Amino acid sequence: MNGIEKEMIDRRPLVTCAGEIEVFSAIEDNLLQSLPKDSAEWKRSLGRPVRSVHIGANFVPFSSVGLPKGTQWDLIRQPLFHIYWTECSDVDVYKSTLKEDIETWLRELTFKDIQDWLIVVVENYDGKRANKLLPRTTVLDKIRADFAPKQGDRCISVINPGKSDATESWKGLVTRIRHLLLIAYAKAVSRLEDHVRQQRERRNDPGWKFMEYFQLQEELAQVLEMLGLYGEALVQFDELDALFSQFVVNGVTCESVAWLNDFQTPLERWHALKLGPSHLPRSPSILELRAYLFAKQAHMLLLTDKVWQMASRCLPFLHTCTRELSILEISSPPGALECWLFLAAMEVLQTCDKFNHADEVEAYSMHTASLWAYASQKLKALGELCGLLPGSTPTSEQLHVVVGLSAGMGDNPGTPIAPSPTDKLKEALCSQEAFNKTYLELAELAMGTYKHTGRVRSARLIGREVAAFYMLLGETQKTAAFLSDASRLFRQDGWLEVAAQTDRELADCYKQAQDWRKFIRCCAHVSAAVDLDTLVRWNYFDEMRKHVDKLDKSLIVPFSDIIKIVSVSVKNGGIVMQDSTIELECLVTSNFPREILCSNVLVSLENEPNKRTERYLKGRSLTDKELRNSDGGLKKLKIQSYLDYKQDKQLSSVSVVNKSKELQRKDSSPPVYSDFGRCLEAVKLPSLLTPGINVMRLTAKASQIGKYHFGQMAFHIGQLQLVSQPLIPRLAIEVIEEGPSLRLYKEPAPLLAGFEQTMNVIFTAGSYTIDPTTKIRLNASRGLSLQIEPEAALTSSCEFEVGHQEMFSSTRRKLRVLADMLSKDQQVSIICPWLAKPIVVSLSFTPPLTSSWKLHTVKHRKFLLINLMGQCHTDLIVGRPKLVVGKEREIVDKNGEQEDEILQNGLSYSYMWELIMDPKPSLTLNAEFNITYRLKGILMEPKLYQYFFDITDYQTLYVLDATLEPTKGNEFCRVGFLCHLNLSIKNVGDTLEKKAATRSIMYEVLAEQSVWAVCGRTAGVVSFEPEMEPQTIVLDIMPLTSGYLPLPLVRISKYIPAEGHSGKHETHPRLEPFSPGQVYNATKGKQVHVIVTPNDSNL
Amino acid sequence: MAVCVAIVGKDVSRNCLEANEITLKYTLMIYEYSCLFLEFPKFISCLNPDEELSFQYKVLSSLDIVEEKINGINKASDNRELFLGMLYALETHKIYGYVTNTRMKFIIVVDSSNMALRDNEIRSMFRKIHSEYADIVGNPFYTPGEAITFKSFANNIKNIMTGTV
Repeated sequence: MNGIEKEMIDRRPLVTCAGEIEVFSAIEDNLLQSLPKDSAEWKRSLGRPVRSVHIGANFVPFSSVGLPKGTQWDLIRQPLFHIYWTECSDVDVYKSTLKEDIETWLRELTFKDIQDWLIVVVENYDGKRANKLLPRTTVLDKIRADFAPKQGDRCISVINPGKSDATESWKGLVTRIRHLLLIAYAKAVSRLEDHVRQQRERRNDPGWKFMEYFQLQEELAQVLEMLGLYGEALVQFDELDALFSQFVVNGVTCESVAWLNDFQTPLERWHALKLGPSHLPRSPSILELRAYLFAKQAHMLLLTDKVWQMASRCLPFLHTCTRELSILEISSPPGALECWLFLAAMEVLQTCDKFNHADEVEAYSMHTASLWAYASQKLKALGELCGLLPGSTPTSEQLHVVVGLSAGMGDNPGTPIAPSPTDKLKEALCSQEAFNKTYLELAELAMGTYKHTGRVRSARLIGREVAAFYMLLGETQKTAAFLSDASRLFRQDGWLEVAAQTDRELADCYKQAQDWRKFIRCCAHVSAAVDLDTLVRWNYFDEMRKHVDKLDKSLIVPFSDIIKIVSVSVKNGGIVMQDSTIELECLVTSNFPREILCSNVLVSLENEPNKRTERYLKGRSLTDKELRNSDGGLKKLKIQSYLDYKQDKQLSSVSVVNKSKELQRKDSSPPVYSDFGRCLEAVKLPSLLTPGINVMRLTAKASQIGKYHFGQMAFHIGQLQLVSQPLIPRLAIEVIEEGPSLRLYKEPAPLLAGFEQTMNVIFTAGSYTIDPTTKIRLNASRGLSLQIEPEAALTSSCEFEVGHQEMFSSTRRKLRVLADMLSKDQQVSIICPWLAKPIVVSLSFTPPLTSSWKLHTVKHRKFLLINLMGQCHTDLIVGRPKLVVGKEREIVDKNGEQEDEILQNGLSYSYMWELIMDPKPSLTLNAEFNITYRLKGILMEPKLYQYFFDITDYQTLYVLDATLEPTKGNEFCRVGFLCHLNLSIKNVGDTLEKKAATRSIMYEVLAEQSVWAVCGRTAGVVSFEPEMEPQTIVLDIMPLTSGYLPLPLVRISKYIPAEGHSGKHETHPRLEPFSPGQVYNATKGKQVHVIVTPNDSNL
Repeated sequence: MAVCVAIVGKDVSRNCLEANEITLKYTLMIYEYSCLFLEFPKFISCLNPDEELSFQYKVLSSLDIVEEKINGINKASDNRELFLGMLYALETHKIYGYVTNTRMKFIIVVDSSNMALRDNEIRSMFRKIHSEYADIVGNPFYTPGEAITFKSFANNIKNIMTGTV
């Protein structure tokens, strides 16, 4: 039981012994020890749960005088169980003396209404029992028959444990006594409970005294404690506690309670709590009563291993005491109450320490932390009172106070190793040194315990107090450490006003330490704290400015709340050309209380990493919203649902997977300072930063190409550099260069061959300048000549220098080109030194004129038709057509005298000559047609257009003629009636022609099927004999429509029969066409009149 | 009569997933809150404005206990109970806490000598503050997450504090 000494007030039930006392005294010790060893079940009234309890007893000799009445409430203090002991084994002796004695004893008991008794017959076991077989012959049987015929359990025999093996019998006795005793005791307890209840209900009666009631209920508590029911005992004490508190509160609000006046005496003693066994003094002061009550409660808690609860009850208890003292207006010497509170807190802490179980530390340190803090506060208050704080010396009055307080504490000496709280306090009040040590020890413990339990904020708040103490000690370094820790935490939580106050203290601390760099940093924060008073801010701002001027090297201070970036926007487009300026506009809010001149304003430019790990912004400006989002606000979680299936495709589990990284506290990462080597600078320097919104325009020349993002912003105020957090999401910018370009453009009209035309060579400089002497060469393909110099002759290749040229400007040069008439497609390759491959430009030239010829035959006369077509978009003027055929062949010009003609694009002119046939015709005639042309509207020498062609097989060989005549008896050809087509083919060609092949001719009638129906064969082969008789073939043909119908077309071709005999290569007969001019077809243009059949028109 | 009322922004980084467990059923649009300030004081009102700073310290340290109560031992108990009871007591003041389902913390500081205010009164006071707060959050002119600066709200809270509502 935690090693706590047993209660000093013995609340064990009194048990009387009558009869043969010597029998009892032999076993008394044994019985005393055995009774509480085992637990017994305690059945209780009012439906309370059955408890298993341990019960002991005090044995007293029986005396009829001290017997209580069975209905008394204070039975608990009276003998409540009675045992008659006898050793008699002789029935005769029993009958003669014992029976009478027992009768007398029992009569006295019944007279007092006492039911709780027991008769014990101790048997000295001596081997075999002779009369075992005879029933009701022992003394026990007799007693049972005489005194307890219906309560057999009131009589028991026991084998003397001193004699021999009698364990069973002994156990039976102990259990029986325990059981019966408990029944008796339970009765007594319930009487007491009733009484306590009655008394409590009378609490508002005049004359009721709390202390009397207190003792009554305490008795009940003690009884419960004796039974081992510590929890229930605690309830009794808690009830007393609550009752007293209620009285005190009501004593103020309602009418005064008389007995409370006893407590309203000035405090004289402020002894420690004295946890553990304690006595309540005769007329206790309120503190003593409270202390006693708390000690009792603590005791019960300790007995039930609830150390942490004791710790947790301590502080509310101390608060209650303090409050009650003030409610009851109890006067006390200054500092007395603090002493008592300190001692109480310390004592509880010490007790906690004493009962420290490793596994409970966690549970109670939650409560001890605040106790340590409380104790340290009380000690500090005492220190103030007694002039013990660093920097002050106690006056004689204060020394008197110390003496008075020490006296009031009384003596409670501990061991030298573990001094009692009283010793500690006395020592601490004696000297400043001891006081400092004790105070700091307590405060550190408080802080440490708070931190240990995760109450960081509370720890930091204690830290502030400790810092103030260290400040008094002049240990600025420690002060600064505590204060900056506190400030950081407050800032993290966003408690800016508290943080600003702490910063202010920190600034003062640095000032005292003459750490000017840190002082400036702090001043910057304090002056920018909007929650503080403006005058204070001005003050620190001026201090800051004063000391910034004295700085010898630069000091970097993060923006935090001093300057806020509202928005950042790039004024350029997304892509910045090399060597142009990047323009940035930043909107910043300055929280400085006054305007300040910045010597420089910068935004760093960082190279974009290959892999973008941070968030990048698509747009051109970072607004307030996005900047805030980077810190917090709404951000989409990368959450995915994840389904897990069993093997049989049943859903096993559904979970949600968060892919995003763990969140980091904002301040957990160390501040980054990017390289400001490449940066944008403010346009206007020095620039004035006014309180509130400022627009900063920054520019930089984009000298190097690459991808960049904006890093951080910095304001330089002399040597003070205010640097922002990295601007996230990243605002990216790309600086690019553009190389020079060269293009060849033609005029809108298509290029014409044969004319010299101009094209445009356009050179555009890029984002960088190139050497003006760089030469560009143009090479022309065969048949094309060009020149870029205005006056020089056309060549197949030329070159030019690019010359000096501004960025992105372009120059146009005229390129003259001339393509000959022979080839249509030409190309120009441009060789630029900065390009690996030449640029090839394909050009397509069209000739200005095209022409065609055709041979026409009339019997033996030949006519040449030449068709000339204009291809030029501008009108051409043509004139002086001339045809030369063969070597001086005679031709007759049929065109007449002609002026120059205008030939428009797409239109054509035809020219005609008659070729006078030579008696000795040659096979081939070379012909040349030429004509002069020039572009209309342009003064130029007429150019000669030449057209060469050959005329072959132009001699007429066959004349073909046909007539259509009606069948005999018919005058006209009628629709639907057969007619005869007489086809005659006459060989008029040169008789010299001997080729047999040409003698066979195949004719084909190609009648239009809707007009003519040919009956019988439509084709056939005729052979010409040497006598050259005209061949006549008659075909039956029927017109299908009426009117003047053109005769069916007849075609003749050379027929080359199959040459089967010549060898293996048997060939099929084949047809070869005649060339135009070899056949004169007279049927062309002939028509025949077909009239309608009269039968059809019989209307 | 309370002497100080504070509304403190939630420690959202830790609670976002808890809150989302519920929303998950309905939508997969889940937002992660990562507030710059974990326990941002959205609103503080004191009967005596001069004492505000000292109350700020008190409220701040009470947040430790609120955190403990939310995350710790009491978790097993009824989740619908928003009232956290007394957080801690000083000689002069008692500090009570209340936390909404979205982990918005309301703190009430009461004078220790004020015996008239029992837990039930404090609880109803909290409920009134909660309803006022809900109104403010529903106000289109209020940006959630920012400090509450509405005069009407301040007045209503003052009335709740002084018990005139």
